[in-house]
Amino acid sequence: MRHNHNARDALLFSLPFLIVYLAFLVLPIFYGIYLSFFDWNILSGKRFIGFLNYLDAFKDDKFLSSLLHTCEFVLISTPTIIVAGFLMALIVMSSSKLRRGAETVFFMPYILSITVVGTLWSWIFQGSFGILNQTLLALGLRTVGWLTDPKTAMWSIACATVWWTAGFNMILFTAGIKQIPDDVYEAAKLDGAGYFTTLVKITLPMLRNTSLLVLILQVIASFKVFGQSYVMTGGGPYGSTRVLVQYIYETGFTYFRMGYASAMSILLFLIILFVSIFQFAAVKGEGK
Amino acid sequence: MMKRKWLLIAVVALAVAATLPAQAKKPTEVKFWTLFTGGDGEFFDAMIAAYNASQSDVVMKNDTVKFTDYYTKLTAALAARTAPDVVVCHASNLVNYVPNNVFVPLDSYIKKAGVNLSDFEAAPLAGCTFDGKLYALPLDVHPLIMYYNKDLLKKAGIAQVPTTYAEVLADAKLVQEKTGAIGIACDDTTATYKAYTFTRVFMSYLKQQGKTILTADNTKANFNNEAGAKAYQLICDMVNKDGVTPKGLDYDSSVADFKLGKAAFHFNGVWATGSFEGQKDLDFGAVQFPAAFGTNAAWTDSHTFAVPVQKKLDQQKVLAAIKFMDWMTSHGEMWAKAGHIPTRKSVVAKAEFQNLAHRKDYAAAVKYVFTPPATPKWAQIYDLTSDCLEAAVAKNVDANTALADMEQKVNAILAR
Repeated sequence: MRHNHNARDALLFSLPFLIVYLAFLVLPIFYGIYLSFFDWNILSGKRFIGFLNYLDAFKDDKFLSSLLHTCEFVLISTPTIIVAGFLMALIVMSSSKLRRGAETVFFMPYILSITVVGTLWSWIFQGSFGILNQTLLALGLRTVGWLTDPKTAMWSIACATVWWTAGFNMILFTAGIKQIPDDVYEAAKLDGAGYFTTLVKITLPMLRNTSLLVLILQVIASFKVFGQSYVMTGGGPYGSTRVLVQYIYETGFTYFRMGYASAMSILLFLIILFVSIFQFAAVKGEGK
Repeated sequence: MMKRKWLLIAVVALAVAATLPAQAKKPTEVKFWTLFTGGDGEFFDAMIAAYNASQSDVVMKNDTVKFTDYYTKLTAALAARTAPDVVVCHASNLVNYVPNNVFVPLDSYIKKAGVNLSDFEAAPLAGCTFDGKLYALPLDVHPLIMYYNKDLLKKAGIAQVPTTYAEVLADAKLVQEKTGAIGIACDDTTATYKAYTFTRVFMSYLKQQGKTILTADNTKANFNNEAGAKAYQLICDMVNKDGVTPKGLDYDSSVADFKLGKAAFHFNGVWATGSFEGQKDLDFGAVQFPAAFGTNAAWTDSHTFAVPVQKKLDQQKVLAAIKFMDWMTSHGEMWAKAGHIPTRKSVVAKAEFQNLAHRKDYAAAVKYVFTPPATPKWAQIYDLTSDCLEAAVAKNVDANTALADMEQKVNAILAR
């Protein structure tokens, strides 16, 4: 009798990826947990200090303020990027002649690197010679300190992020919409349902699982924000947009406190983990 | 048959070709990393090319790293002992590396290579010395100075260039009134670049009153006092009461405003000189940072060359590195084209340096410069004071509250 080598073959085919994944993702995570219990300046020996790094974090107002700024960003950007992605998906799935071009235009920003996006939008938002303020001046209006006014800085960062990543959510929603069987829509049309009724009573409910996926992925991505804010505002004005990942990076590489930086990374990881679990439970629970 | 013959000929040709280079004398290849990009980078690369062309014993291979990534890459390489043979390191950053024994002490090699140490200015050389041992050679000093727009001053009827801060302030207000231009373009907000200028100005005003920002042993803050209050007030008034510096001005904007002729005065480091010279219709001058309390003093940092410790010490490579460092520092007039001040007296005396516009106007500043405190916690304190000063000035906080808050935070970092 011929034996089935499915398991062995699967493992062999996955091996290249698994090796890289273990070496560059899994092992560093465990090493990071290990490091978080030490005081280490990268260049010299490690000194074991137990949970001191974690206790320090809760007493450190820069850690708490950075976490607060990250949460601000998550709250501002998550609904915006999800809704933007959904609207883009609707446009792409419509029967409009523009839909092919629209799909490309909506997704193109996603292939740009984070530094390119940050630099591009820094120039658009630039106070004296950025195109946005130049347009306002031409219209006879007052200029706005998009990146230099604490009231608008975080929103400007979110704006650049929406432009950059909404395309990814569009792809997910499009895939979800395509899975809705045509006969459901036909039945609705026969019953005389209009566009908005179809949207609310059929499309949205049938996108429940896709929406949950998008929500969880978007929240995780938003919690890890760093590149855009670092390039556009450097955490300013006066640290008001400094997000947690920036503080972790500065603590590790500029202040040479790797152990403390690792501890803060683990704390961020735990926060994201609990938020994701909570989201999953809440949305899935409702389904019953 | 034909194919085999060609194959044989090819193999023989390759074998001969492979042995040829071994017959010629191979120059020592010395690798190094620099953080000079943009205008600075072009001048530096030109110097490397000139050095490689001037002799055949050593070939320098440069790798430029983006400024913001440089120290991350350098630290990782030093930890793994895979750093190149020579690196550029800011003098203020040496304190993070030297105590961890990742840079080679250079005294013996300097003697062997016959470098004339007395030709160096004392202050920059002192910044490279730890526990009496020399760990780096300074290439330049790049202090805080003041630029001024000659056209705008003329338009406002100002005949003499101001030297004290009181004069600068009065002239700035006059230019603002008469021409509508910005009085003093000094960055007060963090955007792509952090607003470090306020800390540099604050430290300069403190030093002008004989005080350093931290106590001499670097254990406590030293600015919550009368001198600190006076220094802070000047900065706060510049933006608020006197209104000669607009709010929300970030580094890029402040440089751009001066470059486009929209500002009468500009506080910045000497590194901006090269880029201002490239601006066609900008008629500007550069002088020492103004004295606000009767004496001159200005913040500076300095680019130095250091030799990383390798897994196996190669004496030849270290000596080659020292010879390179010696050549580069004694040809500092080429580096001065980027705006930096040379560290060797022989270079300052050269005609090529004296003939460069602007540089000799502020070269005298090298006598009055001071470097940041040599403590591993400086990077954290520098970031913190920049945030605090930026916030306090933006919200127009009074001196006592602002300084008390900043002192408490600085001491918390130092106490850890």
